[in-house]
Amino acid sequence: MNLRLSDLKVGEKGVVSRVVGDRATRRRLLDMGLTRGTEVVVVRKAPLGDPIELLLKGYNLSLRKSECENVYVLVEEEK
Amino acid sequence: MTIRVALIGNPNVGKSVIFNALTGGRAHVGNWPGKTVEKKEGICRYKGERIEVVDLPGTYSLTAHSIDELIARDYIVKEKPDVVIDIVDASNLERNLYLTLQLLELEANVVVALNKFDVAESLGYEIDVQELSRILGVPVVPTVATEGKGLRELLEAVVESAKGRKRVITVSYGKAAEELISKIEKAILKDRGLSSRYPTRWLAIKILEGDEEVLKEVERSPYKSEILEIIQ
Repeated sequence: MNLRLSDLKVGEKGVVSRVVGDRATRRRLLDMGLTRGTEVVVVRKAPLGDPIELLLKGYNLSLRKSECENVYVLVEEEK
Repeated sequence: MTIRVALIGNPNVGKSVIFNALTGGRAHVGNWPGKTVEKKEGICRYKGERIEVVDLPGTYSLTAHSIDELIARDYIVKEKPDVVIDIVDASNLERNLYLTLQLLELEANVVVALNKFDVAESLGYEIDVQELSRILGVPVVPTVATEGKGLRELLEAVVESAKGRKRVITVSYGKAAEELISKIEKAILKDRGLSSRYPTRWLAIKILEGDEEVLKEVERSPYKSEILEIIQ
C-alpha cells in the first residue's frame, strides 16, 4: 500500500518509494536520507500531529507534517 | 610552513570538541563576511608546523539551499584549504559519508576522522578502517575526541596529506548520467575561466542537479548555450 509518510501512525513503518515536491524541498529531503528504499519508522508526533519524529538509517529526524506529505512510502498491509 | 585546515562534518559529530582539542580552545570568533553565521578560527602547532584551523558550519550536504551549506562550500571551492578534515560519526556512517562523497567530488584534500569510534564499537559495528580508506582514496583516522584519542594520528595524517596531492576517486552515477556528465564536462572545458575555478566533474554534476549557484556561474559563461543545451 502506497501512503504519504504523513499518513502513518506512531509506531508504523514504511519504505520510501517516491519523494515529490519542488526541487529545493525534494533535494533537501533526499539529503537528509529519505532516499528510495530507506526504511522509516514514525517514532512520535507532537500534539496536533506536527512536527513528526522519524527514525531512519539509525538516526532520528524531525520533519514538518507538510514535508512528510512529500514522501511516499510503501507499507506492508496487515494480514 | 603554514597548513590551512578546514573542519567540516554533519551536525552533532563532535566537530567543536575536535576544534577545541586541536586549537586549545583559544579561538578567534567572528562572522563570515556579510553573514550572521559564526566563524571560528584557531591555531595549532604540531611538529613545527603551524596549522590554521577554520571551523565550517555543520552540514549534511553541500547544496546551495542553506546559507550554512553555501558558506562551507564556498570556503572549500574558493579558499581551497590545504586539507579538509571531514569529521564523520562512526556510529552513523551511511548518512555521514554522503557529505564525504561531496567533498571528494569537490576535489578537496580530505582526511576523514572517524569520530565516536567507541560508540560505534559499543553498538557492535566493526569498521574496516583500512578498507574504507582504500575505497575513499583518502586517509581515515579513528578518533574519540572527547577522550583525546586519535588526535595525534589525525594531525599526522593532516601534515602528510598537506604535502602530497591525493588521487581523485569518482563514483559512477550509471551510464545515462555519466554520458551527460562527460558531455557537459567537454563543454565546460572550453571555458577556461570556469574550468580553472571549479573541478569540471563537480560542475557537471551540479548542472545536472540544477544547482542554482552553479547555474548562475554558467549564465555568465560565453559557452552558456552550449552547456545548457545538453541538459534540455
